[in-house]
Amino acid sequence: MHAPQVTLIQTVGLRKVFRKPDKGPGIRGSLRHLVQRKFSDHVAVAGIDLNIAEGEAVAYVGPNGAGKSTTVKMLSGILVPTSGQVFVDGLVPHRARVENARRVGVVFGQRTQLWWDLPVRESLELLRDMHGVKGPRYQARLEQLDSVLGLGELLPKTARKLSLGQRMRADLAAALIHEPRVVYLDEPTIGLDISVKDRVRSFVRQLVADGTTVLLTTHDLADIEELCQRIVIIDAGRVVYDGDLQTVKDLHVRERTMSFELAEALTGVDRIAERLPAAQVQLGSNDHELTVTFDRIALGAREVLSAVLAEAEIVDMHIDEPAIETVVRKVYAGELRVGAGNAPAAESTS
Amino acid sequence: MTSATVPAAAPLPADTRMRRLRAYRRMARTALRSLMAYQTSFLFGMLASAFAALSMLYLWRSVLSSGSRHGFDWPQMKAYLLVAFVAGSLVSSYTDYRMANRIRQGDVALDLVRPVDYQWGRFAESLGFVVYEAGTAVAVALVAALIFGGVPLPDPHTWGLFVVSALLVFPLRFGIVYVSGLLVFWTQNYVGVQAARIALITLFSGALVPLVFLPEWMRVASAYLPFAGMASTPALLYSGGLHGSAATTAVAVQGVWSVVLWWLARAMWAGACRKLTVHGG
Repeated sequence: MHAPQVTLIQTVGLRKVFRKPDKGPGIRGSLRHLVQRKFSDHVAVAGIDLNIAEGEAVAYVGPNGAGKSTTVKMLSGILVPTSGQVFVDGLVPHRARVENARRVGVVFGQRTQLWWDLPVRESLELLRDMHGVKGPRYQARLEQLDSVLGLGELLPKTARKLSLGQRMRADLAAALIHEPRVVYLDEPTIGLDISVKDRVRSFVRQLVADGTTVLLTTHDLADIEELCQRIVIIDAGRVVYDGDLQTVKDLHVRERTMSFELAEALTGVDRIAERLPAAQVQLGSNDHELTVTFDRIALGAREVLSAVLAEAEIVDMHIDEPAIETVVRKVYAGELRVGAGNAPAAESTS
Repeated sequence: MTSATVPAAAPLPADTRMRRLRAYRRMARTALRSLMAYQTSFLFGMLASAFAALSMLYLWRSVLSSGSRHGFDWPQMKAYLLVAFVAGSLVSSYTDYRMANRIRQGDVALDLVRPVDYQWGRFAESLGFVVYEAGTAVAVALVAALIFGGVPLPDPHTWGLFVVSALLVFPLRFGIVYVSGLLVFWTQNYVGVQAARIALITLFSGALVPLVFLPEWMRVASAYLPFAGMASTPALLYSGGLHGSAATTAVAVQGVWSVVLWWLARAMWAGACRKLTVHGG
């Protein structure tokens, strides 16, 4: 077991309900709404309990509209929760908004916090003064950020002239100039090309290694696999899974696929299938290709391999490992539910 | 429901007034800089209002050529219109326009993760804008004064009061503009709010027509509304149309409204935060 951990982010029964006007279509609906005001409630976050320890890197995942960004905004003090409690580093973010902002760094992938008409350097200097970062410390931080993000070439450029990838690098720097203890990254890799994604990821890895607590919201599953040990999956405003990444894979992503390329056309497909009753054996698009799909806990790759070898000569083969994508897809499709007996409690971690 | 045990707040250098002052000063400077980035569009806006002021001057010159009306002769009217023009150019659009857009598009979320008070932040930015606006407007007014054969200086007895009144124009205008910007939280649309605000200010501030020319009830109402202090009061003080206790009262009304609007805005902000909806991203 680890040394006693400090809980840095804590929410208890956190809820956010938005009130939306119910307007009929067209001008008629709008006019009627003026007289007869009707509203309906939209529950964005429906009671979330979350405990994140200092230094943890947690992926916060779910389909569009699941309540991810709303949660992050409540943790940042932007939105006031409808009910429930929230603490970040000992503060209630929406009550101590300014003090909270001094400790937290936030990146919204779809918005920029740079001053649009100014060179990046001036945005950073403004943030430096806002956070009261001292000169030498700022210089050191800038050099540090430059080495990972390649900031140097961006500093003299006006924010609105940056490409998306450059903008994201500058935005990361802007959010982290004050060395926050807690960082929320809301879709930091959205729309970026592979090389910039890699850069952003290695930067976040560095952050985590330095002991920063990171909450990462993303649709990019590679982000999660590369950066986080713990994953929280939410759907319709509720946590459907909270635990470590490997466990969720073991539990829900057991299907493994082996593909073979054979030296000559296969005649004994049925015989292979007989040898592997627990697996699905299928001929590929031509009769030189064979795929075997199996439960990786019920069956080992070795058994599959020897069964195929007994019937054919293998030229090439590869194994598709389970990806977190499959789990998330199951959640999106509504196959995974709380209380269905397959979602372990949060305590299964560490 | 289990209640949360509060994790201890980590040590962070205590917040100082120094940090905040530096932050606001920097914000003001940055606002000024970013306005300069759009110098052309600003100058065109200024040109438009300069032409409007010019046509007012020509109009009043011909009206007053046959003698003074409601106590205004032509030199006084010149002075009144030019001071009203300068006052009317202050905090004219940037503050609320930016604010409204950021609120409507949800970018206000980013203003909320900055370690500064929202209202003081906007105040500081407006202060940055106003330096530029005042500089340009005064230059235009001086040129206009030259064209129209000079403007008399105010009565030395009202100088002091005029300066106080002129300085109060800024917090007063900021209050009105900021409050109307906050309305976007409720209306989700700024075009209508802005048009209404401009119409109210134009009529009741005396920027278009000195308030004495308005019907009795409007004149009385405007004396106690915040709008007169946004142009009429300093302009009258300069042109010699306000004396004695009436002058002190008018300046006091300016001061009171500046404070009232500031706190009204605070109350609105508290409500707005609860209403805030930021969609997407």
